[in-house]
Amino acid sequence: MKHLPKHLRPRWRYIAVGLEAWPDADFDRRDFQRSVWFAAQNLLGDAGSADADLKVLQFEFGDGTGEAIVRARHGHAQQARAALACVDEIRNDPVGLRVRGISGTVRACEEKYLGADGQIHDERKVVFGDDQRSAVERDGLLDVRTDSTFAGATELDFE
Amino acid sequence: MPVYEGVHAHPDGDSTVARFAATAAEYGLDGVVVRNHSDATADYDRARIAEEYGVDMVDAIEIRADNPDVASGHVGNYRPKQTILALHGGTNALNRFAVESDRVDVLAHPMRERGDFNHVLAKAAVEHGVRVEFDLARVLRNDGGPRVQALQDLRKLRELVEKYDAPYVVSANPRSHLQLRAPRELAAVGEAIGFSTDQIRQGLEEWAVLAERNRERMSDEFIAPGVKRGRYEEEP
Repeated sequence: MKHLPKHLRPRWRYIAVGLEAWPDADFDRRDFQRSVWFAAQNLLGDAGSADADLKVLQFEFGDGTGEAIVRARHGHAQQARAALACVDEIRNDPVGLRVRGISGTVRACEEKYLGADGQIHDERKVVFGDDQRSAVERDGLLDVRTDSTFAGATELDFE
Repeated sequence: MPVYEGVHAHPDGDSTVARFAATAAEYGLDGVVVRNHSDATADYDRARIAEEYGVDMVDAIEIRADNPDVASGHVGNYRPKQTILALHGGTNALNRFAVESDRVDVLAHPMRERGDFNHVLAKAAVEHGVRVEFDLARVLRNDGGPRVQALQDLRKLRELVEKYDAPYVVSANPRSHLQLRAPRELAAVGEAIGFSTDQIRQGLEEWAVLAERNRERMSDEFIAPGVKRGRYEEEP
């Protein structure tokens, strides 16, 4: 079908999202998209979710950190923000999530809010709670392997 | 006004106090209230963390007890040591005890489990200056039935708090740094469930107000509310 003339096309807002999870977390763009849709539908309902029309445009995730761009309808950025805040886990991996900023174009969004850090990961041994454990380190932040999951710590805890 | 968040740190939660501070700094929070339960208190270096991450750490405790008698003992025990004293609500007896004690700062999650709140408790909370907590944990991290229940509870609590102008705090009750959410996100969620953005922000600021007031009270210069050391104190 012929595409809409420019003044009739919907206007969008592009939301830069920072993601964080434990180092063993494994999910891709489709998993994130599903979680966002679920969160939006559960919080805003079918009508609100359709209005906000959330779509994951860019997604990058690995070794416990990542970033994404989520598209929302202009005027529904606040609802989008609320829905994103309710994304608590992605495919059973708990995630921390923060809106870094909102832009009117994908390019501005990328330039202003994404690609901040190329972090180097490192495995090392630490003493946590009287036990010797291995930990994944990045940028002075450590995720310590405990029996079944991880514990979050920083350099300061091992001084 | 600075915004603070009340968190459960390791060993009560999964992340250490320092990790919470690091994430809080990134998320634009000005301070973190370490409200570990009384049976799992955290050990940390307040000054060192504040210096490293630029986040104010507030010593606090969330007293968890089976009944008001035990809770009362804990209150007497912890009040002189902790800046902010919260009480783990969730039964009618404990909610009532909390809002009627001047020495308790915050009644945490009064609607959780079998707890309930009514006009009598709201009036008592106003009279004794006890902050009632709006706990967003179940809104952020549950779905389906339990979340509907949580939303209904929050609505009831909000109506009572608005009606009697009771003091309140807002918290997402995070147990790890992954569960922490930035103030603007919490405000957006609040707006979606019937709060105003200002209400949420004010609830987060209230932690800072409490911390400041109690620190002043605990300092050596403090005599009594409204009493200050004057110019004529020294003997000639």
